[in-house]
Amino acid sequence: MTTIRRPGRPTRRRTTSALALAAAGVLLLAGCGGDSDASGGSGGDGGEPVKGGTLNVSFFPDNPTFKCVDPFQVYWIEHRTVIRNWADSLTDQDPETGEIKPWLAESWEVSDDGLTYTFHLKDGVTFSNGEPLDAQAVADNAQGWIDTVKATNGAAYGASYILGLQSAKAVDPATVEFDFTTPNSSFLQASSTTNLAIIDPTAYAETPEDRCLGKGLFGSGAFTLDHYTPDKEVVLKKRDTPYTSASSLVDNQGDAYLDEVKFDYVAEDSVRVGNLTSGVIDIAWPRNPITPEDQEVIKASGATVESRSLPGVSYTQFANASAGRVLSDPAVRHAILKATDVKTYAETIFGPDYPVVAGPFDATTPYFKDESDKLAYDPDGAEQLLDDAGWKVGDDGYRSKDGQALKIVLPVTQFSAGPELLQDQLKQVGINLELHTLTTAEQSTYLTAGDYDLTQTYFTRADPGALQFILNPDLSNSKALANNAASPEQIARIKELFAQAVQSTDDDQTAQAYADLQDYLVDEAIVFPIFERVQTAGVSAGVHGFAFTSESFLRLNDLWKS
Amino acid sequence: MGRYVLGRVVQAVAVLWAAFTVTFAILYLLPSDPVQLQLGAAGMDTDKLTPQQLNAFEAKYGLDESLPRQYVDHLVAALHGDFGSSIAQQGTPVTDLLTQRIGVTLQLTVAAAVLTVLIGGGLAFVATFVEWRPLRTFLTRLPAVGASFPQFFIALFLIQFLSFKLGWLPATGSVGLKSLVMPALTISVLTSSVLAQVLIKSFDETLQQSFVVTARAKGLSRGAVHLKHCLRNAALPAMTILGVIVGLTVTSSIVVETIFTRQGIGQLAQQSVLSQDVPVVLAIVTLAAAVFVTVNLVVDLLYPLLDPRIAHVRKVAHA
Repeated sequence: MTTIRRPGRPTRRRTTSALALAAAGVLLLAGCGGDSDASGGSGGDGGEPVKGGTLNVSFFPDNPTFKCVDPFQVYWIEHRTVIRNWADSLTDQDPETGEIKPWLAESWEVSDDGLTYTFHLKDGVTFSNGEPLDAQAVADNAQGWIDTVKATNGAAYGASYILGLQSAKAVDPATVEFDFTTPNSSFLQASSTTNLAIIDPTAYAETPEDRCLGKGLFGSGAFTLDHYTPDKEVVLKKRDTPYTSASSLVDNQGDAYLDEVKFDYVAEDSVRVGNLTSGVIDIAWPRNPITPEDQEVIKASGATVESRSLPGVSYTQFANASAGRVLSDPAVRHAILKATDVKTYAETIFGPDYPVVAGPFDATTPYFKDESDKLAYDPDGAEQLLDDAGWKVGDDGYRSKDGQALKIVLPVTQFSAGPELLQDQLKQVGINLELHTLTTAEQSTYLTAGDYDLTQTYFTRADPGALQFILNPDLSNSKALANNAASPEQIARIKELFAQAVQSTDDDQTAQAYADLQDYLVDEAIVFPIFERVQTAGVSAGVHGFAFTSESFLRLNDLWKS
Repeated sequence: MGRYVLGRVVQAVAVLWAAFTVTFAILYLLPSDPVQLQLGAAGMDTDKLTPQQLNAFEAKYGLDESLPRQYVDHLVAALHGDFGSSIAQQGTPVTDLLTQRIGVTLQLTVAAAVLTVLIGGGLAFVATFVEWRPLRTFLTRLPAVGASFPQFFIALFLIQFLSFKLGWLPATGSVGLKSLVMPALTISVLTSSVLAQVLIKSFDETLQQSFVVTARAKGLSRGAVHLKHCLRNAALPAMTILGVIVGLTVTSSIVVETIFTRQGIGQLAQQSVLSQDVPVVLAIVTLAAAVFVTVNLVVDLLYPLLDPRIAHVRKVAHA
């Protein structure tokens, strides 16, 4: 299984912009952890780039439930990192500003009603198998996405990126038009993601399952997908024909420097780190942030640690505020926000330099608004709120009201330091946070059964629209979670703000709507941000030109080994 | 003798069937299903899908059939060597997955078994042969220590020194003889300790036997008596635990292959359990049971050959 064959891939972003959807503001690198910045920690140093060589990268274990490298179907962020380097997208997103920049498309227009997106493609781009990447190929991709959503019964991850997409057609060989039934302003950002990367459309003749295992996948990137062996490795080879479609955001506009890139899966953190420090691998790319202790080990060996916040929804808790539950009382929800010390959480769990979460989005998300003032630690305020609401402290130190104990159930899959720290913080103000360890069976049913008071989730995408797939019951990945998280009036308001943001083609309006949304979610205590999600990578001293994409994935165009 | 063999074979087949059935029951009694898990891993809940979509999903994996029907289908297919398709691995036939990986695990278990016999047997021999009391005591207690160390600890300890400090052996991978050394060593610490414990005990008992005294009285050296006379007798109980040791190497491979990143059956087992990839788990358990049963069957059949007393007793019993 697993094999795929060599192809080449060209293209990435390049210049000339037209409508640059500006992602409002912020996107800071500030969100990045101690060391690094978005576009290239160790880049630039080390002199003239050296060509050739194999880059060895170690991930944590492959996805246990869904082995897949097909761009449209993949949600696994490690594989999105791999895809970024063999398949190009219509547009690219600047990691520093969130702006949408040209890539396969040199320019684009969005109609006033927001229902038509027209992209003007770069000339002469080919897939690694030699097939032309023209307007028809792009339109066929769009049809492939729509068909895949059907074939997978709506489970394909990319479905959330093409909401409202009805069809696409080639207007002329260099112009492709996407038609929507409802406006979807996040589509432009979507067109920059790996999920909507353009592949040779003949791949859509394969079944979604076969595509997942790599069958028939040819992109236009600087590398080609050589093969994917689930649980073992994904190997990329340099494209053997010239790469002509680099993104405007990379320095090296030509062929990749590296000959080959091998990604493997190592379960044990200490083994991955040891392999890095002993020079067996070049980059350690774990899912969970590298611990402060391991960072010391890595730095002592001369390697560096790069980090950047993952854009999208931060690691955030959502309440079950449905009638009869403790958290239907706004006073308790506000008290929890005040009693949660996210700064201490970041320091204790992840180390002193770790960024502190500042809202429902991580700081690298376009339109991010810093809500840290409202999330400030204020245990006295929390106690005041609870006292005023009639929650009295009992002999055991926990509060109750009219015989109802102030007990909050937080389901966890295993005991770990984070939830226990929260438990301790809430105990200070008399809230009893009960950690309920779920059995495997319960993990898939507790949400629909409503058997929780708090639960947590996140969503990686460099667009605030990501939160719709958690909080908007019409789109949510879990209807139960969305419906329980807020009152019907609040849900209506949330949907209204999303609609304003998504349906507008005026960027200022979108920015305003997203700012209002973030304020509203915190003001109403609908979100309980816990920590910023940070992608960290240990990078050996011989690696130069390391860069993160706007989605905090690894970008290899400028990377070389000395 | 024919009846003895037939009885053993029937027993082996019954054990195999029971393993299959019990595993099937356990996996299917779990109230969650692979569809939910697969969606769950993508952050989706089943309530996102319409009932039609959900039904289509279940039909795809044959989960819409009744439980007895699914059981019979699986059993009949398994008898034909077909364990269905993996759910997590996008419909890849389970037998393909197993054949791809069995070589890696086989190498590991064979290497571990050889090391086990050499280390465990050697230790037992030396421990019972030396006459200096303190050393004898030390060597006799050693297996208890070896059996107590957690395997992940031994594995990480070995990696730390042999890979990261000295750079002699690769910490990960399943290619080449070098990659085999540490995993096999890790497993054999446990298995050879078990073997040594049993062997030491039976050596001690054998040494009390009168034929040992006779042999010595005939003028044979201690070494010759130990090696030729005692070993053969003392090895019988060790044969019995051979099945247990094979079982240990199989279960150990789950931990060891995960730590050393070897793409074998053990690693597959760990991942398949996590993802509740029922067809794969079922096949692996059945395979492990088959190995276990076969080894024990072979041991049972070898007994009469190694120890004529056993066959003799049988004959008498059936007479």
